[in-house]
Amino acid sequence: MIEYLVFAAAFGLLLLGLHRKVIARVQMRPGPPVWQEILHALKFSFKSTWVPKTASSLLYVGVVLIGIGIWSAALFVVLAGESILILFAIYMLHKIVEHGFGLSSGSPYGKFGGVRSVISAASEIPLFVTIAAIYFFTDSLLLRDIIAYQAIHGPLLLIAPPAAIAMYIVILSKLPYGPFSIVESKELVSGYKTEHFGVWRAGISVIDGLKTFVLLFAFVAIFIGAVPFSLALVIMTVVLVSLSFVCAVTPMLSPFDSVTVQGIVTLLMVGYAGVLWWVMP
Amino acid sequence: MKKTTITYGLAASALVIVVAWGLLAASLIPLWAAETAIVIAFPVLVLFLALWWRAPGGEEDIPFIGY
Repeated sequence: MIEYLVFAAAFGLLLLGLHRKVIARVQMRPGPPVWQEILHALKFSFKSTWVPKTASSLLYVGVVLIGIGIWSAALFVVLAGESILILFAIYMLHKIVEHGFGLSSGSPYGKFGGVRSVISAASEIPLFVTIAAIYFFTDSLLLRDIIAYQAIHGPLLLIAPPAAIAMYIVILSKLPYGPFSIVESKELVSGYKTEHFGVWRAGISVIDGLKTFVLLFAFVAIFIGAVPFSLALVIMTVVLVSLSFVCAVTPMLSPFDSVTVQGIVTLLMVGYAGVLWWVMP
Repeated sequence: MKKTTITYGLAASALVIVVAWGLLAASLIPLWAAETAIVIAFPVLVLFLALWWRAPGGEEDIPFIGY
């Protein structure tokens, strides 16, 4: 099972490297090599490392451990076809972890990143929850039931496209250099990650790799259904490249605008769920 | 953190993962129990492995906290 975790982290980092490459090519830059994020993780793990004087040591180190732990758990949840409610819960825990990263170091940059994480949680988590509208079709939130439903009726991507758009925006919100990436924007240096360096930053890279893999894999499982693993990896790559194009041509929104746009999409999704509730037998 | 402490932590986390994997392979524990053990031990393994091979040196400092 540890091989799944190592593969997911490495493939997730590879996807993030591809993300940077696609953005660079769209913007007429050569960009870094595709495996740059894997090299970053290794490079940071070899650097000399300590805990800043102003940091709360327990929280500063603990959030890295918790971050890797929750996304490892999320991978097992998705692979086992368990409830997507657990995925929502892990997503909420991740927002708390981001906040913890920001507050633990005592740096104002990290703190602002943590505060923005809380602000974005107000819109991201309801947006994620709206994909539960698929319950009206499948009568279950278990991933294995959702996959079984699609084997009979076809992909939910075609049956409930608004729910797919909601999750697409959730994944877009979690990608770096995107319109909603307010928690690690450049005016805050690296946002909530600013004061986590060396080994701690290598841990964050593992978190980012696992998170990217889990969210894209969950997207494929929830909206495409059962496909061979190799084909799932190809679809995940295609979805990521489409997200990279969006990131490349869209400026980063201000925190207020980011929450407003996500909030409007959430309201539209709630309306969609209401219509489904009204018309579904 | 002392090098010996890091070595013990690394060995303990690796041991937990190997034992959980072995017990699952022998069908002595259910899948969820092995997954729980790995979810707890994997983050420790990642951090302690990096702490074990990191470059020496460095001491705690004060980050930029504003003007």
